[in-house]
Amino acid sequence: MIEIRGLRKSFGGMAVLNGIDLSIGAGEIVALIGRSGCGKTTLLRCINFLEDYDAGEIKLDGEVLWYRQLETGERRRYAERDLARQRQRMGIVFQQFNLFPHMTALENVCLGPRFGQRLPAAATEARARELLARVGLADRLHSYPAHLSGGQQQRVAIARALAMKPQVLLLDEITSALDPELVAEVEDVIRALTQEGIAMVLVTHAMSFAREIAHRIAYLAEGQIAELGKPQDILDRPRDPGLQDFLRRIR
Amino acid sequence: MEMTLFDLWVLTRAASISLLLALASIAFGTALALLLTPLAFAPWRIARILYRLYVFVVRGTPVLLLALLVFYALAAYWGRISPYAAGVVVLTLYLGALFAEVFRGGVLAIPRPLWDLSKSLGLPRLSILRRVVSPLVARYTLPPYLNVCVMAVKASSVLSIISVWELTFASREIIERTLDVYRVLGVAALLYFLMCFAIDRLGRRLESRLAAKGFAGERL
Repeated sequence: MIEIRGLRKSFGGMAVLNGIDLSIGAGEIVALIGRSGCGKTTLLRCINFLEDYDAGEIKLDGEVLWYRQLETGERRRYAERDLARQRQRMGIVFQQFNLFPHMTALENVCLGPRFGQRLPAAATEARARELLARVGLADRLHSYPAHLSGGQQQRVAIARALAMKPQVLLLDEITSALDPELVAEVEDVIRALTQEGIAMVLVTHAMSFAREIAHRIAYLAEGQIAELGKPQDILDRPRDPGLQDFLRRIR
Repeated sequence: MEMTLFDLWVLTRAASISLLLALASIAFGTALALLLTPLAFAPWRIARILYRLYVFVVRGTPVLLLALLVFYALAAYWGRISPYAAGVVVLTLYLGALFAEVFRGGVLAIPRPLWDLSKSLGLPRLSILRRVVSPLVARYTLPPYLNVCVMAVKASSVLSIISVWELTFASREIIERTLDVYRVLGVAALLYFLMCFAIDRLGRRLESRLAAKGFAGERL
């Protein structure tokens, strides 16, 4: 469903992504792991074009996203309106500051469908209520983010990402900033989503969670996918020496 | 000779003119700032340079000098002009630069994920401005904005130099007539204080309204 080919990006001469090739099937869950600075977050941001990239292409269902190829061989960014439409096919959740602080939980979830997708208000709100109920927040619809716990905020953020009916969910270390006792409630929500066949790409440091829900794990090092495979193979029988060392250090 | 009750009445009238000048300049200055701030974030270098230049020049010039400059420049161009109109123009130019910097700071305070999310949700630019940036900047910048409003009341005293009849001008008139220096200046100071205090109270009211909405500021 998502096909990434030859993705390259550098920040001021420093290569961050050094030719990434990765295919993600419909309903597949792929975890990205690696040391800090290995490019995993940048890769995730590039997939949603929150970051531009120097070379390579990203396809969704066969359609090349973000840049169109000119006959001269050059590439040109799509117009903002097209970019917006393409971005809406994915939902993204960050580590923190996910919610708009001046809006209630319900308003946060309605924002994208209402003003991005321009869907009617009533239908949007009904669906938002349903999604918030699904993440266990039916009783906090009108709470402002400041009055929600970190775990509740992340669950609202997940509901908001789902409100766009995305084909893929991009999760960037969504439990890293949480107190330990709040991690489980967010992981439970993600776990429940795996039953629905929505594709996910998650950047994570929670190895046991990655092992549990991911179909495949990609280990990134120096802007490349150094090893890719089933969770058991990656975590229990790593071949790459860098990966072996990485796993030793985090255990 | 002591100042009379009539002088007191004259001073309060003059204070109301000071307040009107300040309020008009705050309104126009805010409008000017709303036009200026976007320049600071424009994709064109020339716009950003113009913004920096404007703020640098206006903020770097004493208001007194700015007042004389604008008054004589306008007078040279249009002949006789109302010092009140010139006064509002001066304060508008001055407050515009200060408000623009306040708003720019507010835009910079928006956490990066919120920009990314606005884009990711596919919000059109106008919706981002209307639904996300404007309300956040308004909330972030309320205290420094009110601070500049208080400065506006006090800065209006400078306009006496271009013969705007306001509180400071009126005080000088009465002092020259009565020589009751301390009492007149004391009353004038009290009137300035009351005007600033009113703005401060209004600000507190707005702030506590926001805090009730879960937007106390300590948590983004």
